[in-house]
Amino acid sequence: MSSLQMTSSSAAGAPPATVRRQRPRGDGATAWLFAAPATALLGIFLVLPFLMAVVLSFTNKRLISAEELGTDFVGWRNYARLLQDDAFWVALKNNFVFVAIVAPLQSAFALLLAVLVNQPLAGSRFFRTVYFMPVATTMAVVAVIWSLMYAPDGGVVNRFVGFVSFGLIAPQDWLRDPALVLYAVMVLSIWQGVGFQMLVFLAGLQAIPVDLYEAAKLDGATPWQQFRHITVPMLKNTTIFVLITTTIYAFQLYTQVQIIASSGTAAPVDSFRTVVMLMVHEGFGSGKIGHAAALSVLFFVLVLAISLIQRLLLKEERAVA
Amino acid sequence: MSGDSQRGAERRARLALYVVHGLLAAFFLLPLVFMFVSAFKTDEAQLLRDMNSLAAFAPVGQLGWGNFAEVMHNTPFVRAFANSLLVVGVTVTLGILVNSMLAYALARLRFAGRNLLLAVVIALIIVPFEAIAVPLLLLVNELPWFGAQRGWLDSYHVQVIPFIGHAFSVYLFYQFFIALPKDLEEAALMDGASRWRIYWSIVMPLSKPVIATVAVLQFLARWGDLLWPVMVVRGDTFATLPLAMQTFFGQFPRQWGQVMAFAAMATLPTLAVFLVFQRWFVKSAISSAIKG
Amino acid sequence: MAAVSLRGIRKSYDGGVPVIKGVDLDIAEGEFMVFVGPSGCGKSTMMRMIAGLEDISEGELRIGSRVANDLPPVQRDVAMVFQSYALYPHMTVAENMSFGLRIAGRPKAEITEMVGRAAEILQISHLLDRRPKALSGGQRQRVAIGRAIVRKPKVFLFDEPLSNLDAGLRVQMRVELTRLHRELGATMIYVTHDQTEAMTMGDRIAVFNQGVVQQVGPPMALYQQPANTFVAQFLGSPRMNLLPARLLLQGSDALLRVDGLGDVRLPAPPQRGIADEVVQIGVRPEAFDLGAEGWQLTLSLIERLGDTTLLYGALPGSEAPLAVKLADAGSPWNIGDRIGLRPRAGQVLLFDAKGQRIGAI
Repeated sequence: MSSLQMTSSSAAGAPPATVRRQRPRGDGATAWLFAAPATALLGIFLVLPFLMAVVLSFTNKRLISAEELGTDFVGWRNYARLLQDDAFWVALKNNFVFVAIVAPLQSAFALLLAVLVNQPLAGSRFFRTVYFMPVATTMAVVAVIWSLMYAPDGGVVNRFVGFVSFGLIAPQDWLRDPALVLYAVMVLSIWQGVGFQMLVFLAGLQAIPVDLYEAAKLDGATPWQQFRHITVPMLKNTTIFVLITTTIYAFQLYTQVQIIASSGTAAPVDSFRTVVMLMVHEGFGSGKIGHAAALSVLFFVLVLAISLIQRLLLKEERAVA
Repeated sequence: MSGDSQRGAERRARLALYVVHGLLAAFFLLPLVFMFVSAFKTDEAQLLRDMNSLAAFAPVGQLGWGNFAEVMHNTPFVRAFANSLLVVGVTVTLGILVNSMLAYALARLRFAGRNLLLAVVIALIIVPFEAIAVPLLLLVNELPWFGAQRGWLDSYHVQVIPFIGHAFSVYLFYQFFIALPKDLEEAALMDGASRWRIYWSIVMPLSKPVIATVAVLQFLARWGDLLWPVMVVRGDTFATLPLAMQTFFGQFPRQWGQVMAFAAMATLPTLAVFLVFQRWFVKSAISSAIKG
Repeated sequence: MAAVSLRGIRKSYDGGVPVIKGVDLDIAEGEFMVFVGPSGCGKSTMMRMIAGLEDISEGELRIGSRVANDLPPVQRDVAMVFQSYALYPHMTVAENMSFGLRIAGRPKAEITEMVGRAAEILQISHLLDRRPKALSGGQRQRVAIGRAIVRKPKVFLFDEPLSNLDAGLRVQMRVELTRLHRELGATMIYVTHDQTEAMTMGDRIAVFNQGVVQQVGPPMALYQQPANTFVAQFLGSPRMNLLPARLLLQGSDALLRVDGLGDVRLPAPPQRGIADEVVQIGVRPEAFDLGAEGWQLTLSLIERLGDTTLLYGALPGSEAPLAVKLADAGSPWNIGDRIGLRPRAGQVLLFDAKGQRIGAI
């Protein structure tokens, strides 16, 4: 009876079944056509220079390679010289001071803005756009505007500070005074950057389920208690992300300080020169490529270390949650 | 609590919120207002006087297009603007094409080395440009170009080609593509579409949000770049706006009105691009930031 | 010649997990073949292998007379209707339907005509300029079918097309698809997990389980003569009752003994030798006569559906209750009543220890 057989009988004379084993087909050629342009570009203009940086940092290469000088392998000499270079330590200190103040300040400010914008208020969308506008402004332009605002006599900032302090604080030459210039740069950097971190916090806030707040309200929690016990813990990962990225951006500080330095009316460059600025002046200005390469590598190691710390911290959080 | 006083408390809280918002909005907007308003003040002395008061933000006194005209006729502004437009336009457009192609291969195609390539691309995201700027300079100095001149310095291509491939853009496209429903592409396969046809006619038209995000992010980044132009461009012929502005800013005697006009015109495109695309950009940029 | 022929088909994913463990099947021209089975049984994977969306690890697939293992989907002359319809959201209905033809480079006049004709068959001519998001679920499904029809394929593949529709629409579409099959006379392979669709729509059904075909044949044949307990219980609702039982031969009679229910006497089966192998018997809920004698069951649940009544009673040593289906509603039973059941002669299926059917009495 046919229903007892596992299959219906095939027509008599059908060709015998051939057992074919097949390798899974891939998309090979097509895939490489799609991937080739970007891979080549990234390979040549990102990976290659990166490897070059590592190699060059162990040489004494110069930008204008005169035949007589040649290029030699000098081992760790560049690094040693770097660590003994006062300019390097001063620049590094500037970066660290910048980071130590800007990272927490800008992050807290961003959180505040995000919380404000997240309130159910007519016009929140408008304010969110306004707070982001500085981010959409070219940094070079930002530096120029604030340069004028920081003008020593009759500048907007001086007028404001004088007004707010009831005349106690005299007008300062913010950009020429070596003790003040770094802080002046901090203010304009925060002004320009906080909008972006605000968006990140906003996303984190909107990811918190509303029921948590409703349950807390039923339990009688005040808004402040809700913030402390629900918002802050739920934002842990976002906060870590914001702190880390702000820190990395702070170490990459270049454009605004470069503009101010080239304005001709600024404090001695040591008081606000950053690591990246030093690298450009050294490698490019003085042509000492090996030296600048060592700086680049150190810079990358620093950024890498910070990124790894972030991944570690985030992974722990995820494991716990 | 009686209904009245509760509503009163709510109204007061809302008012307080608006006040805070107002103050913050002033903080963020006033410098920009200052720039635009100052650009229109043709009397330099008045401009400097106005800074001492709220008149700094008000379009008062002698106003006109004088500063703008000066900047456009007597500075390299127009050339720099055109250069920026060309360089950034080409970089961003080619970048969208090339990076999305790589992302599509990583997201949808099977090939030997796919996993490794994906890991490498993601790792490249954290490499900051500053770390490779100097060796890149060396590299482009040695690269050939049509016309037999050695090296790429002081040209358009030196400001475009190194920036077309962008690891973070690839990553954004990748995240978007893997979230697209697979059966749309399978249906297209059944219809006989080649992979290129699927990418071009099905996947990309559906990718408008991520294309907008990548376009805005890259536009903002490239338009404002100063570091690389400082290293590879001499003179005015190929200079883009940030470099031209730095040069103009460093020239004495300094006419602040003109500086502000220069600055205003230099940043108008980025503000415009952001305002136009902000809907798409805000939504998808922050969701991918969280995933990162 | 068969429209589709499967020989020794096997598939494993990377990592060696086998999904299809040897399928041999022929699908005749113009046949409506249903692949049915529970989730994870491999039926969808099998269809996708015929479509060309999944690789075949071992075995031979023929479509028409050609070996199709290595052919890309478009060269296999098949068209597929996806479960989620997979309509291109940014194209109009007409563009959706004509996409394949445009890729093939057909002249515009021809495309317009073919799309028009398919739209007429499916009654969606008035929707040609709309986008998918402006269509209802049923309309979207017709567009998906239209896209397949326009390609004039040798074989249509349907991947659970009705599972996204609500119940009423589903019944309506079932009838439509059957009508479509008659009108087009095309070979259709239809995947579903719903046994009602399988029973009503298929010329033949292939029951899949765990990567193999358990049985294939016309619906009624599988219903009345299932090859094993899996097929027996998969088709039919409520499921066939499987009772652990023993068959004792007494002369020309046989005694069916079920622990907890008692004995029932029926004429002995012609093959007397199988009596010792019987471990389970199967009786469909509608195959009982009620009376005073026979198996004694205490009722634990009564469901009145309006046109039928379902009676349930606990079976000692078994989790599933015994189900009895009666074709009228005016029944006087209450919970706790004791009833006598006699299975009808010829409708008791005998299964051995491996779950294979070895006979019937």
